[in-house]
Amino acid sequence: MLFSSVTFLYCFLPVVLIMYYIAPGIMKNAVLLISSLFFYAWGEPLYVILMVASILIGYVSGILIEKTRGTKAAKPVLAVSLAINIGLLGYFKYSDFFIENFNAATGLSVPMLNIALPIGISFYTFQLISYLIDVYRGDVPSQKNPVSLGAYISMFPQLIAGPIVRYSHINDQLSNRKISFEGIADGVTRFAIGLGKKILLANQLGELCDIFRQSSDKAVLFYWMYGVAYALHVYFDFSGYSDMAIGLGKMLGFDFCENFNYPFISKSVAEFWRRWHISLGSWFRDYVYIPLGGNRVSKPRWIFNILVVWMLTGLWHGAAWTFVVWGLLFAALLVAEKIAAPLLKKMKILNHVYVIFVILISFIIFNASDLSQAASDIAGLFGAGGIPAVSPESLYYLRSYAVLFVLGIIGSTPAVKSLILKVKENKIGEKIVYAARPFAVIALLLLVTAYLADGSFNPFLYFRF
Amino acid sequence: MKFKNFIVVAASSVMVLAVSAWLFFGTPAEFSFSERRELVQMPEFSLSSFKSGKFMTDFDKFSTDQLPLRDTLRTLKAYAAKYLFAQTDNNDIYVYNGYAAKMEAAENEESAENAAQKIKQIRDLYLKDNTGRVMFSVIPDKNCYLAEKSGHLTVNPEFFADKIAQANPEIGYIDISDLLDETDFYFTDTHWRQEKITDVAGRIAESFGITLSAEYEQKTLDIPFYGVYSGQSALPLDAEEIHYLTNDVLENCRVFDYQNNKETAVYDMEKAGGKDPYEMFLSGPISLVTIENPNASTDRELVIFRDSFGSSLAPLLAEGYAKITLADTRYIQPQILGKWIDFSRCDVLFIYSTLILNSSEMFK
Repeated sequence: MLFSSVTFLYCFLPVVLIMYYIAPGIMKNAVLLISSLFFYAWGEPLYVILMVASILIGYVSGILIEKTRGTKAAKPVLAVSLAINIGLLGYFKYSDFFIENFNAATGLSVPMLNIALPIGISFYTFQLISYLIDVYRGDVPSQKNPVSLGAYISMFPQLIAGPIVRYSHINDQLSNRKISFEGIADGVTRFAIGLGKKILLANQLGELCDIFRQSSDKAVLFYWMYGVAYALHVYFDFSGYSDMAIGLGKMLGFDFCENFNYPFISKSVAEFWRRWHISLGSWFRDYVYIPLGGNRVSKPRWIFNILVVWMLTGLWHGAAWTFVVWGLLFAALLVAEKIAAPLLKKMKILNHVYVIFVILISFIIFNASDLSQAASDIAGLFGAGGIPAVSPESLYYLRSYAVLFVLGIIGSTPAVKSLILKVKENKIGEKIVYAARPFAVIALLLLVTAYLADGSFNPFLYFRF
Repeated sequence: MKFKNFIVVAASSVMVLAVSAWLFFGTPAEFSFSERRELVQMPEFSLSSFKSGKFMTDFDKFSTDQLPLRDTLRTLKAYAAKYLFAQTDNNDIYVYNGYAAKMEAAENEESAENAAQKIKQIRDLYLKDNTGRVMFSVIPDKNCYLAEKSGHLTVNPEFFADKIAQANPEIGYIDISDLLDETDFYFTDTHWRQEKITDVAGRIAESFGITLSAEYEQKTLDIPFYGVYSGQSALPLDAEEIHYLTNDVLENCRVFDYQNNKETAVYDMEKAGGKDPYEMFLSGPISLVTIENPNASTDRELVIFRDSFGSSLAPLLAEGYAKITLADTRYIQPQILGKWIDFSRCDVLFIYSTLILNSSEMFK
């Protein structure tokens, strides 16, 4: 079920929230678990069994790891439980990629499995892994209540698109959380903002990307428009979903971590990744990069660590070579930035231009169906193949999407937030902001509903990751 | 609890719960007049439909279709696209100088090729030994005339004419593009106005060696006409009038609808009062229909392969033919037409709008 659907907004969510608020404290996790499984089953009726199995495996593993902690058995127990989780992820997500490459390398023709990927498996598997490792390290106790663990793993606000909420972050909240009007109001506001980002900006910019892809009237201008539109599309799509997840969390009394912090204002790729999909970056840092030795190793080993982390980051996003290259591009850039750090610091504005340019290129690779399309799209930016600088189609769509581009670019910076904070600095301004908030929320909900009524909905981009 | 928080929660709750109550307890609407389509109804639940995910997919469609004040919401979206985001079209529909039109951004080569081949198939099937004249024409869409002025994208009708001519060199081309401009079309609909295309009918008839007197009485339908773009644009467009041309010849013509196996009329007043008043012309989208003119000056017959534009054009050609047969191969397999049509001596006209030629996958 998509957050940006009428079914979720006007059928599922109100019913679940009413049940959740009515339920006594001890039952709230049960309501959350059942509604989350229903939410999951709506999109994956059969894979909900896999979800329940993952929860049970995680529950038993957590208790066993805790019981054996400090003994020789702890490591094998952790290894087996991680192998099961990673094995399931590997089987469902990477089998066909492996077979395809195996066939290509050997000349054999092992048949593809054509397995449908369970929604959100990458997200909930990573949550489970973080839970099991944290229990092994003794950072958190194992969860003794399977309902609470189930509620954590399957929690619908962050089930299909993150953020990847760490168990250590949410452990206390699972048993003790406060639901307040302030939290609900903040949650509703945050949810409406996320929904607006998704429907009003991301979806419309996504439509322009589709138009570009179908067009036979390509021009250099059109390639650049596509590059910018796609980068903004991914940002508003994903950060919009994260906003919705955080907002829903607040409505339910949870406090999830932030997942985006205006990444396009970064002055380096390293900074970009501290601001983009923060929960994934920190997950790889804490569970892969640092255990490999991080940067406190020899230079060759450090480069190796970077390559491993970023190849895995790429593969996490999808089972295709485009994602591997996408990840490795960031590895190369991060290594280069480390070497050329003094130079980067000297570039006042050029470092922004550099970051925007490489991010744009990276997302073109990210969205390409294969490496040859990626190469052709990047070449198109520079007029390869003798394509014209502009075409009637590119000029038309530039005119039609100009305001969306401007809104998207402004919206991807902290300008609006800064303005609101500035206005709130004096008391009259603060009153105006608070008075305007309910109108803004209702206006956003109405506008989003109008867009939903008008068109068929656009599947969420990160659905299959 | 601060009032500022309460008001946010209360306002959003009222809105969400009101829509929810409507969806759960309201009576589902059956038809959208603005979009001219049936609305999705509540799907039936079964274990198999749940397991396959069909129930959920259908429910999502149902809930979207049954949103309260759906047309008002669509209008709100159209205004947002136009004024908030300054977009130059809304779902490819735009309004310029009062004319609503659908933007066709580019020629679909595959579609044009397909249309040309479909015509060739009919020619190969029926017209090898035909002794009449065989011609084709392309009707430029309203957008072809508006786009240059409004700054929108358009297709070039000559592109389709060239494709058809390349695949069918034996067929003559009747160029009618210079006889039309946007004023020959309805403000709110795709179609051309019958009262404005007598010159088009005259040129087509001339191409077949027939001269039309073109003396008609213009009548006006007493029903407000909101064309197809009125609903699709979701903007409040004014109603307009449908005029139609008649004379003694047309009033004495006999029309037979082979699809429904019944007599009908050149101007079907029952259809005029229906969901789409333009269907009054030869009863709208019918696969096979004939107009027999007992007062014809010749015994010649004409077969028109056409789309809906042909429905308002054919009556204007009736004067010159004893029988006109209209075949719409979007609704009937051309292979079976031989059962009803004798192609040996008739004149044949292929006439399609650029809208259809650019989406010719609908041809059978």
